[in-house]
Amino acid sequence: MELTDADLVARVLVDDDQHAFGELVRRHQSAVRGLLRQLTRTDVALADDLAQQAFLRAYKNIRSFRGEARFSTWLYRIAYNCFREDARRRKELVGIDEEQIQRQRDPQVADPGLRHDLMRALNLLPLNERSAVLLCCQNGLSHDEAARVLNIPLGTVKTNVLRGREKLKRMLADWGPN
Amino acid sequence: MNQVNQEDWLDRQLREAAPYIDDEGFTARVLQQLPPPRRSHDLLRAVILLGMTFLASVLAYVVSGGGRFVGITLERLAALPALWIFVIALASGLVIAAAGATAAISRDRGLQRSFLRT
Repeated sequence: MELTDADLVARVLVDDDQHAFGELVRRHQSAVRGLLRQLTRTDVALADDLAQQAFLRAYKNIRSFRGEARFSTWLYRIAYNCFREDARRRKELVGIDEEQIQRQRDPQVADPGLRHDLMRALNLLPLNERSAVLLCCQNGLSHDEAARVLNIPLGTVKTNVLRGREKLKRMLADWGPN
Repeated sequence: MNQVNQEDWLDRQLREAAPYIDDEGFTARVLQQLPPPRRSHDLLRAVILLGMTFLASVLAYVVSGGGRFVGITLERLAALPALWIFVIALASGLVIAAAGATAAISRDRGLQRSFLRT
């Protein structure tokens, strides 16, 4: 039987079992790296550095995981904080220009078509709306979980998701279902 | 255009736009950067504690004139009535059992707080 995240966390806490932590990293690396790639506007190298930083921070602070939320939600919050701290250092929280986005774009999403336009549209959203849309619509978090990750009120999350969705729908109007 | 359909479509596109990212050594890189396991510190702590206990015992033995006090205490204990020896043994057992149960309960509570609500 496969161990749950809670079982693995227990092993890390009680026995300092690094293999168990490795399993947690393996399970969540794709989601965390994916989220950070989107938040950093597909800067793959930066996103992976931040993801590594997030997992190391998670390991060092695993005793502060109180089990009030899913482990993945707790991890997203750490990853998001790493991103915010880095962005603050770089003073790039808002206002990256389109040319820069083009330069930083992940080759994986460089194909023309809907996915390209979707990534481009996402990158054009303000950070607060992009984060909320990514967490709720792409990663399947509830509004409540997203509010915990982003450390903002529930109502703000709902508004940001709504606004972000509306903007995306407008930008992708040519692709939408008829 | 149906609002709900459009939102479903958008959410589906967003999910599909986030494909699984292969590990490609990421986990190994993270594990390499972890601090050394706590167990080595625990071992060091145990060695220090046992060493200090041994040294303190030797010192106490030497200072007390070859442990004469142990023999005297045993003689006194042997002179006590059987009921007193039984009471002392029972009290010692209860104290040790209570200490063990307290430690086990506090550890269990900590673990429950951390995991049962996940």
